Amino acid sequence: MSEIGFLFAGFAVFWAGMFTYLVILQVRIRNLQDQVDMLENNTENQNEL
Amino acid sequence: MILKNIYGLRWKILPPAAGIAMIGMAALALVTAPTELIEGDVQRLLYVHLPSALASYFAFSVTAVCSVLFLLKRDFKWDSAAQGAALVGLIFTLLTLVTGSLWGKPIWGVYWQWDPRITTTLVLFLIFSAYLIARKSTSLDGDKLARFCSIYAIIGFLDIPLIHMSVRWWRTLHPQPIIAKFNPALPDEMLLVTLFSVLAVILVAAWFITLGIETELLSQRLLKLKAITKANISEKS
Repeated sequence: MSEIGFLFAGFAVFWAGMFTYLVILQVRIRNLQDQVDMLENNTENQNEL
Repeated sequence: MILKNIYGLRWKILPPAAGIAMIGMAALALVTAPTELIEGDVQRLLYVHLPSALASYFAFSVTAVCSVLFLLKRDFKWDSAAQGAALVGLIFTLLTLVTGSLWGKPIWGVYWQWDPRITTTLVLFLIFSAYLIARKSTSLDGDKLARFCSIYAIIGFLDIPLIHMSVRWWRTLHPQPIIAKFNPALPDEMLLVTLFSVLAVILVAAWFITLGIETELLSQRLLKLKAITKANISEKS
């Protein structure tokens, strides 16, 4: 690999790392959102009973 | 009060400031900064490698401070904050290792050397990987686990001064400090780009840490809510 290749790879990994963290966080927040929805449904069902 | 007001503005200030700074950093590092005579273009990796290392120290410092606060106050919000910051620190440590490795191959001829600074940085990565894995996989109860993890994080944090001093205490291939000294060993243009890159990446780290902490706090609130709902249901039945 040429010098520019290593430079490109370094910057690509750096930006990919940043985006990976944001994706991890998004998955986590979606998971939390699902759990909140489930909890809401359970509470509503309990109240109806 | 002032601190609370500043913290309240975090979503308005941090994301745009971090985004603009990162675009500026990329332009300065790849276009404006002069090419180093001996190392050539690959030296530009310094503008992501050094800031990533400093950002990881910043994130793990937050973890250590929050762990101390948890042990003192026994308030679980500090434990959640420590956990949120640790993942950010881990990501930046990994970026430090990978960008350093990509710099090492054309300069040293190898991707990896068991050099004191690189090895102690790898140890830091392993310490906090274990910290995060332990949090998800042990069967200890909440309070005990949080106490153990806090003590472990504080001890793990002690690796950071060791990493910093490793190039002074041992014979090492890793370059000696170029900025953290009285007369920085960089030309002014390169020094300015390096300092701007550090600022940009620290801003991103601050934004990520805030996001991580908020997510952990939300997760903790949800767990509490689940426990209350479960108790209510069993009371009714």
